Amino acid sequence: MTAYLARRVLGAIVVMFVVATLVFFMLRILPGDPIAAMLFDVEDPDAVEFLRTKYGLDQPIYVQYVKWFGHLLTGDLGQSIYGSRQDVTRTILEAFPRTMSLAGLSFLIAMIIAVPAGLISAVRKNSTLDHVVTVVAFLGLSMPDFWFAIILIIAFAANLQWLPAIGYVPIAEGLWPWFSHLILPSIAIGTPFAAIIARMIRSSMLEVLQMDYIRVARSKGLLNTRLILVHAFPNALIPVVTVMGIAIALLMAGTVIVENVFAIKGLGRVLIQGILNRDFPVVQGAILVVSAIFVFANLLVDVLYTVIDPRIRFD
Amino acid sequence: MKKKFEDLTDLERKTVKDDLEHAYDFDPRDPLFGLTRDKLSGPRISRRSVMRLMAASGVLTAWHVLPGTTSKALAQNRGGILEAGWAGVGEITTLDPAQINQVLQFQITSSVLSGLTHLNADLVAEADIAETWTVNDAGTEIIFKLREGVTFHNGDKFTADDVIFTFNRSKDPDQSINGGLLKNVASLEKLNDLEIKFTLSAPQASFFVKTTERASGRALTIVSRGGLEALGTQQYGLTPIGTGPFRVTEHTLGQRVKLRRFDDYYDPERPVLDGVNITPISEPEPLAAAMEAGDIQLIGGNPVAPELVDRFEANSDIVVDIIGGNGFQAVFLNPWRDPFKVPSFDKPLAELMKEKGFMVRLAIAKAIDRDRFIERAQFGRGVPAYGSINPAMGFYFDESLAETSNQRFDVTAARKLLADAGFPNGEGFPTLTLKGGPPVRRDMQIIADILKRNLNIEIKIEIKEFQILVPEFQKVDYDMLRIGSGGDFDPDDGIVDFLQTSSRLNGANRDKAKMPFGHFGEADVDRLGDEQSRTADLKKRRVLVQKVNKITSDKVAAAFIYHPVDVLVHRKEVDFPARSRVVGLVDLDRVSFV
Amino acid sequence: MAILNETVDGEESAGRSGWSRGAALLLRDKRAVVGLIILGLFSGMAIFAPLIAPYDPNAQDFSMMEGLSWTHLLGTDDLGRDLLSRLIFGTQISLFVGVSTVAIALVIGVFLGVVAGYFGGVLDNIIMRYIDVQWAFPNFIIAVYLVAVFGNGLMNVIIAISLAFIDDFARVARSMVLTIKEEQYIDAAKTVGASSWRIMWLHVLPNAAAPLIVVGTVSISYAILAEAGLSFLGLGVNPSTPTWGLILSEGRSFISRAWWIGVFPGLFIMLTVLSINFLGDALRDLLDTRETANIAAR
Repeated sequence: MTAYLARRVLGAIVVMFVVATLVFFMLRILPGDPIAAMLFDVEDPDAVEFLRTKYGLDQPIYVQYVKWFGHLLTGDLGQSIYGSRQDVTRTILEAFPRTMSLAGLSFLIAMIIAVPAGLISAVRKNSTLDHVVTVVAFLGLSMPDFWFAIILIIAFAANLQWLPAIGYVPIAEGLWPWFSHLILPSIAIGTPFAAIIARMIRSSMLEVLQMDYIRVARSKGLLNTRLILVHAFPNALIPVVTVMGIAIALLMAGTVIVENVFAIKGLGRVLIQGILNRDFPVVQGAILVVSAIFVFANLLVDVLYTVIDPRIRFD
Repeated sequence: MKKKFEDLTDLERKTVKDDLEHAYDFDPRDPLFGLTRDKLSGPRISRRSVMRLMAASGVLTAWHVLPGTTSKALAQNRGGILEAGWAGVGEITTLDPAQINQVLQFQITSSVLSGLTHLNADLVAEADIAETWTVNDAGTEIIFKLREGVTFHNGDKFTADDVIFTFNRSKDPDQSINGGLLKNVASLEKLNDLEIKFTLSAPQASFFVKTTERASGRALTIVSRGGLEALGTQQYGLTPIGTGPFRVTEHTLGQRVKLRRFDDYYDPERPVLDGVNITPISEPEPLAAAMEAGDIQLIGGNPVAPELVDRFEANSDIVVDIIGGNGFQAVFLNPWRDPFKVPSFDKPLAELMKEKGFMVRLAIAKAIDRDRFIERAQFGRGVPAYGSINPAMGFYFDESLAETSNQRFDVTAARKLLADAGFPNGEGFPTLTLKGGPPVRRDMQIIADILKRNLNIEIKIEIKEFQILVPEFQKVDYDMLRIGSGGDFDPDDGIVDFLQTSSRLNGANRDKAKMPFGHFGEADVDRLGDEQSRTADLKKRRVLVQKVNKITSDKVAAAFIYHPVDVLVHRKEVDFPARSRVVGLVDLDRVSFV
Repeated sequence: MAILNETVDGEESAGRSGWSRGAALLLRDKRAVVGLIILGLFSGMAIFAPLIAPYDPNAQDFSMMEGLSWTHLLGTDDLGRDLLSRLIFGTQISLFVGVSTVAIALVIGVFLGVVAGYFGGVLDNIIMRYIDVQWAFPNFIIAVYLVAVFGNGLMNVIIAISLAFIDDFARVARSMVLTIKEEQYIDAAKTVGASSWRIMWLHVLPNAAAPLIVVGTVSISYAILAEAGLSFLGLGVNPSTPTWGLILSEGRSFISRAWWIGVFPGLFIMLTVLSINFLGDALRDLLDTRETANIAAR
């Protein structure tokens, strides 16, 4: 197990190294000039050259790369070159809890919807209820996320005025302010996610319900609800867990757009704005973190899978 | 709120006219523009003198002299926290005056930091952190006496050393991008703890209204040495320490700027509010929703999208205050590409009119129906443009250009030009590409439609990020490019920055061997442009400016489209006093709740 | 759907009769029927767009934001264009984006996956390291980056989305190849002396088809949604080639004022994606490929 883990972690680190290198060079082929755009309205013609030299952007790419990598090894991700000059580490540390709050709450909302929906449609297979749940689940999956987000804002913020339309408040300023700002974006992300999970639970439940031990238990007259929740459901969750890595990717992709609609500066927004602004250090840093989340989430899922499913061995 | 010119009584119109006349009535050879030393010295400079100073430095606008509507005597309540949204922006990247490059940034520092002077909406250059000042006869030496007992937000005492520190910091390119604004200052001396003396290389009328201005001035907006040392440059950029009415208590990049009342501000009457929370909101729909729901009560930042202005005007809870007609917006046509190639503009107009490339340029400029454009793209708000000189420049604006310009909208003539150039009814005309940034996306589609409708030619639209658009503009790498200037009120803003051969925004990075000029180059414009810049005689300068404007219009330096308006939106529970309503700014120190 | 599954299990090598039998089975599934009908309608709309659209989709001939009426069934948009005509022409481009991106991604991805899986060794290592790297990002972020490199425009968006989807297909194809490779009939073909390409083309690929069909179908819906997301970020197609995503994204700040501008393009996207998902779900049950097909759920 240890050897397997060590090998997997090493593999993950190699992937991340390749990602970091690739991203560094790929960013350099992006057309556009952040410094020229930033200083468009500044009257000093020397300012552009001065800043370019200051940020080392006038040096050959390989020199920039070696420098950047050296700094990376000491944990220094550099500074934003477009506007704020803030340390990238700080930007990411600030964005991280926002995205995690959002992703966590979205996950929770998704589960609250998905588990009952999945169970009901599996147990009452082919009933009207099943069809309704199926259609609703697919509807949730079929809406462009920014559209759904805007409709939520119009309904619950502009018209009903129950919830704030935009922004993020850290949890330190109170549970409700934090929560109330996150409800709408979490619904926007959680709904399509719920649809996917509900479908997975349904099909996996259907399979489990066909298994011998459940049939036997049923024939012995075990109470239906208890049977489903205690015996069948946990087993049905196993295949669901295996695709969690993918699920996390889906959640993260959802945050990219939704953070932009709700003006929450999470990792997704940092990344997109960084790309649009050609703010190289920010994009490099954000991508490193985002890819680390995926790589290690996938790793964790694989390990978890081997733990909960003894049929799989570590090789 | 200012009245609209159309609504003025005859008497009011006469007053406006007199004010303008008086402002421009001086001997330009006199460095003090007919103002005595006494008039220029101050704790404040009178309205009339400031108008003259603004006139002399080319920043006086017709709007400035319009009378205000009698504001209802609103019961001013003290206290309360104002929630403000900053439109069209994801984050307020910096509040450090040395790094500020956007209006939406100094809109905020104007409430946090101080300058030596501040220009209010009544056209009074008020002493801000300076108490009084005197000017020598030549107009080259200015002595400021500073306020006594002023403290920074961190408790440090403010003295002459802080002005010197700020000055030196702004001059250092390693620390500031705004050093260029101090070009005319030969030296700055400390006379004693509360007195400083500026020596200028040449008399500069705009000094009090531009350079020492607390918001847009930037280079002399006072920063705190102690604050910078304690916080470091990075943090200082987020939560600058100054001597202004509000202090920044919190700034989470991309989420919120929290301003709170500074209790030791030199004027105990200000600020009226306890604080302001500023949230950047880049998306239009959430911005509107937040405003309608009352989550935010005032909008600052980038101009509000025109479609939202209509929506806000229809809402009785929301006040929309519109002024202006500043800047110019245009479509640039690449003179190095077919079908509107014009390798040289240095010919009499009559000769140019015989060239096919020029005919096509002119056909396009003439075919743009400005009224339709403003109606559809700007929902009726804006002034048709035929040159870079705009109505906000008041004195310099040439109303007759709408009639006399070669670019005047005329479909029949435009079609004929196109036919004479070899494209009858647009036949055989190549598909051209029109590039522009994301904010003008709608606007470009309307231009393309108008050209299709009037000339039967196809225009393809390409949306480019600003980071790509600017370098391409500077390389003259486009067929047609939609860009403009929101800028200052000085004629130089259009002429010197955009339209002369050596302008910094005239293809600075073009291949100079192949292109002797960028998007436009004309000997008379270069000569007269330089001359108007140097000319202090306002009436003479006006003649020169209008001449240049006419040439650039007639020879189609660009197809000029419109001059936009300045819009302030707030909820009706917010009292935004008329004296704080300065174009482009959002001064919060006198704002209160009704 | 267990009964269906058992029937299909027998179809290890899908011959011509297998396909038609599969189609018949598919039509027994209500979801598939509903999905196919809606998709058929939209396809018809796309093909006959110039015939059925009442007006020129790009002509700003009418007053802005006019409500629903007999002259403008879905009203006019913020630039005074007939919304219905725009949506009908948008169908053409949106479906083209969906189908062509998946086709490109499928061809490249399957090629990489099959080569990697079949030959193994260094080739497998190189290809799969690359796929792993791409796998470390959500597809959408990759697409955003690629459009930023290529610039806006229909072709660029199609290329960006398809490149972003490659890893999904490569992974599915490779894992299928790895399973099939061990089957006896492949060994048999090898001993007879068939070339590697021939074996892959004739034996491996058809047997890997089932999961790829499912992933491909579902991916079309993701491609349509991804295009809309890119438009929202300002990284979509140019205004002269309206897609549903572009129409929706441009209409978004008018939703409160002229609801139809924001609602109908959203409904068009929703209906299409919904019916693709119905079809995909039915195919998934029919072909029993739940495990692998989930991979596409990004």
